[in-house]
Amino acid sequence: MKATDACVCPYPAGDSTLARMALEARELGFDSIVVIGEGDGEPRDLRILRGVVISASSQKEAIRQVRKPAVRAADVVFVNAGDTAFNRAAAAVEEVHVIRNIHAARRGAFDHVAARTAADRGTAVDISLYPIIGFRGRRRQTALQRYADILGLHRRYDFPLTISSGARSILEQRSVREIHGLCGLFGMTEDEVTCALSSIGRLIEPYRPVRVVSE
Amino acid sequence: MREKRRYILVRILPYGFMPDRKDLYLAVIEAATSLWGDVATGLAQPAVVFCDEGHAIVRCRRGTEGDIATALATVTAIADERVALRTVATSGTIRALKRRIRPARPLEETGEVVIGEDSFTTYRYPRQKVDLIKKGTMHQKSLFFTREDLEER
Repeated sequence: MKATDACVCPYPAGDSTLARMALEARELGFDSIVVIGEGDGEPRDLRILRGVVISASSQKEAIRQVRKPAVRAADVVFVNAGDTAFNRAAAAVEEVHVIRNIHAARRGAFDHVAARTAADRGTAVDISLYPIIGFRGRRRQTALQRYADILGLHRRYDFPLTISSGARSILEQRSVREIHGLCGLFGMTEDEVTCALSSIGRLIEPYRPVRVVSE
Repeated sequence: MREKRRYILVRILPYGFMPDRKDLYLAVIEAATSLWGDVATGLAQPAVVFCDEGHAIVRCRRGTEGDIATALATVTAIADERVALRTVATSGTIRALKRRIRPARPLEETGEVVIGEDSFTTYRYPRQKVDLIKKGTMHQKSLFFTREDLEER
């Protein structure tokens, strides 16, 4: 998986079906997408990963939700970011792949402790393009500040990043080339964007030492 | 001396939406000003020089085409209609870009479909794409399906 859109929400949550969004994603340069919510069909020329989002107010609640069968069946598990203590704990939960909605969290909510834990556990932080495309003024400035902070921590601690459009419509999907331009707004380099677009594959199939399962 | 310029070809989505050139210009200026500010946008001198067949060509000063292309990616509406502008190519001449325009015209067969309580007109496009436009509303609600999605209903 070289380029993955880490979050799209097809019909009925949005106005475009999964097959149509997959068709558009293929034309825009992606080879896989992560689908949140319902969505029928299995397009032929694009890999579809099933994602689930956990919204919890406490660490206990998050762990309880993570152990549900529906969540265990998902390919990618997202957790919405919360306060500092929550994010530190979420980064340490083994079943959690990605911490998302970081632009909506308070400044410093994802701190160096959470960053170090995320790097150790291989938990990623999601950069959603929706606030950059859809917001204007102070809200977009805040999102850009958060992303710049996350990028600084990423460069220091080397935890994975993912990039998502959060699209509910084909009109909200963006091409790989446009994503490079949009991520450049908060200082991401071409190589960092390329690495972030391909990180979902490494999250769901991490590099691990070879194990001998039988002799 | 005349300044060097660059031209950016964009495809306008959804298919079939033909914006007024002035409305498109205002949307581009709003997006660029909001993203880069008055100074940078003023120096980039963006302008819409062509708008037809589902495509538009945006002119800007040479060296600013990357910034303007990024601003174009943040355009979400033209005159209150939801749109997306997809950058196709950048060139130094309008003629080179016009050669790259591939208009997406609907296929002959249009139809009607009812989803829930709403009635939609269907427009079929190449590559199995089907756009559904809700009838009888001023700001039309659109759904984006494929041929297979429609046949399954």
